Formats: sequence, structure tokens, C-alpha cells
Amino acid sequence: MLLELSLVFFAFSTRFIALAAFSQSFDSDFTFTLPAGRKECFYQTMKKDASLEIEYQVLDGAGLDVDFHISSPTGHVIFSDYRKSDGVHTVETEDGDYALCFDNTFSSISEKVIFFELILDNMDQDLDDDDDWKEYVHGTDMLDMKLEDIMDTINSVKARLGKSAQIQTVLRAFEARDRNIQESNFERVWHTELSRGRCLWMRRGVLYLRLFRDVTGRDAGQETGTIPVSD
Amino acid sequence: MLMRQGGSMMLSAAGFVLAFSWFLPGYALYFHIGETEKKCFIEEIPDETMVIGKYRTQLWDKQANSFLPATPGLGMHVEIKDPDTKIILSRQYGSEGRFTFTSHTPGEHQICLHSNSTKMALFAGGKLRVHLDIQVGEHTNNYPEIAAKDKLTELQLRVRQLLDQVEQIQKEQNYQRYREERFRMTSESTNQRVLWWSIAQTLILIVTGIWQMKHLKSFFEAKKLV
Repeated sequence: MLLELSLVFFAFSTRFIALAAFSQSFDSDFTFTLPAGRKECFYQTMKKDASLEIEYQVLDGAGLDVDFHISSPTGHVIFSDYRKSDGVHTVETEDGDYALCFDNTFSSISEKVIFFELILDNMDQDLDDDDDWKEYVHGTDMLDMKLEDIMDTINSVKARLGKSAQIQTVLRAFEARDRNIQESNFERVWHTELSRGRCLWMRRGVLYLRLFRDVTGRDAGQETGTIPVSD
Repeated sequence: MLMRQGGSMMLSAAGFVLAFSWFLPGYALYFHIGETEKKCFIEEIPDETMVIGKYRTQLWDKQANSFLPATPGLGMHVEIKDPDTKIILSRQYGSEGRFTFTSHTPGEHQICLHSNSTKMALFAGGKLRVHLDIQVGEHTNNYPEIAAKDKLTELQLRVRQLLDQVEQIQKEQNYQRYREERFRMTSESTNQRVLWWSIAQTLILIVTGIWQMKHLKSFFEAKKLV
């Protein structure tokens, strides 16, 4: 009777813990457009003794820089970056809403595309006691212990894959920024330089012929066989 | 009999977690949006990737000096554009909503939110607080549901989760390879055009220089200065 009860409790609690472990992850990343002369703030509710890591990067927009600051729930500014193109900050948090603000007020024409990633740790403190269920299990045999080792290995592989995915996100942001710089260079070189070159040559030609017209007079120009320049 | 009770307790626990997966996690990011303001987020994703977005809105109540928990009649309009700026989703949702789409082309998808309500003008200081959570790729998988449907043990479920994660990383890497190729093509095209343009400019320079010399020579000869 007691064995049955403990087995049922074991099955129930491990299932529940497993299901709860697959709840929503608390890491998130966002890419947004910050219009010129605007300031945008994002707020994150935090618990006591948790940690908040923010990594941001400017992906597009002339100058590729933005002002950034983190404010605590009391309104006190914890970190402040001035016109940086990327940054990483970690905050040990208290209870309350933290404000993450991006400021583009120094720029009056260019809008910025900003990518930021939030990594929250120690948020679900109630799940840290998930080892308590082991105390209720009696008579675990060798098979269960080996399964536990496999579980540990799998958990560590999962954590590493999660980290790889995070690094991949950051690398993707870097590549997006480089690509934006590249494409704007291409536009600039091809369209601006081409039209500028054409204008320059035409202006030179006109000036050259006008020189002759001014110096020698119209008749002389026609005499030597140059193309008559009309007013 | 006891096992059956345990089984039903287990199912109710699964149902409990499933129900809450519909709603936002308690600690999603939030921001403030004005009445006619449009907030856009860019998601750069590979193809055949599912994206689920969940949001919750709260209206600022001036009398209570706080945000109301939920306001019926307050809606958000969600518009999603694919990398070719074609609209793939344009829908109205209530004060709480969940939108989902699957990408068919890799690239930058734009998710735009704006409030459609004019009622906010009545509440002075029209400020709306929007809690938003966007999940991409394997984060959209509902594992409790998959575990229940395929009857997987904890170990099997973990391995399934690892497989999904690796598959997503692989997709991202393929997309990265495609982007790097495009990047290289743009670079080479730029370099080529710069090269041809400078060669062309040099040739034009030489040709006009020769023509100028000839012209000057004939001019001076005509003026009998030489």
C-alpha cells in the first residue's frame, strides 16, 4: 500500500516536474526600428536575486549608434551608454520593473534598427527545489540511477545547444549589420558616384568650351571648326 | 485503482500547464504605445519556421493611477509582412491575442502592432501597456502536448527536444550560408562596378586629354601663334 502510494507519487511528481520544466523560456530577443528623434523604452518585471543580461546592437542607420540606459524600479539609472553601437550589461535585480531605454534623440534624420537580447536567470526559483522528489522515492535500483546519469548528460547537452542558439542569434545580428553597411555602400557607390561623375564631366566640358567662347569670341570658335556653343 | 488516480492527476497537471501555455508567461517584456502609434518588430528567420506571438494589453486608468487588468473592446491590429513586403497576415485581435505564422521565404519579416481603438481618447493620457512575447522555431513547440500525444517518456521527450533544437540550428546555419552568398555577390558586384567605372573614367580622361591637345594645337595654328 505504502509502496504503491510512493510509486504513484513518484510518477506524478516527476511527470509534473518534467512538464513544468518545458514551460516558456525567459530569454527573448527583439529587433525594432527606432525613428529619428525618438526614445523607446522596454520594461521587464524582475524578481529579487535574479539576474538580467541585456545585449544590444545597432544594425542599420547612419552612424550605427544609439544612447542606452537601464533604470531600476526606483527610477535610478544603473547603466548608461552614450552613442555606442553595441553593448552588454548584466544586472543583479530586485523586485520590480526595470526599464531598458534606447534613445535616438540626438539624430534628427536617420532612423536606427536596433537588436537586443534579454537573458534572465534564476527567475523560476520554485523549480530549483525539484530535487526534493528524490527524498520520497524508496528503493531505487541501479537502473534508475543510470537513467539519472543519462538525464544529466542530456540536460547538459540541451543547455549547451541553447547557448549555441543564443550565440547564433548574436552572430546573425552582426551579419545583418555588416550586410546593411555593405548594401548602403553599394547604393552610394553606384548611384551617387555615377551621377556625380556624369555631372562632373558635363560641367568640365561646358566650362572648357565656354572658355574658348569667352576668350576668342564666337566667330573664332566657328572658324577653327569647333562645335558652336549655343547660349 | 491507485495508478488510475495517479494517471488522471497527471493528465490534469498536463491540462493545467497546457492551459497556461496559451497565455503569456508571467514575466514578458512590456512597452507603452500611443493611440495611433505603430510599433514594428523585425524577425529574421529561415524558411519553414513557425513564429508564435502573444500579447496582452492594459489601459492606464487615471483615477486609480494604475493599469487596469484587462479592457474589453480594446483591440490591436496585427500586420505581418514577409521579406518581399507582401502582407501575410493582417488581422484584428482583442485586448489579448495570439497570432501565428510560418515563413515560406527566408528573410526579414516585419511584425507591426497598432491599436485600433479610439476609446482611448476618452481616457485622458491615452497610454496603453502592451506585454509581448514572440517565440520562434522550436520554442513554438508545445512539449507537454507532444508528450501526451505521442506518449513519450521523460527521456524520449528530452531527446525529441534536443532533435528539434539541432534541426533549428541547422536551418539557421543554412540560412546563414545563403545570406553569406548574397553578401559575397553584392561585394563582388560593387567591386566590379567600381573597377569598370574607374577604368572607364581613365579612358575618358585620356581621350578628352588627346582631343584637347589636338584642339588647342589647331586653335593656335589657326591663330598663327605657332
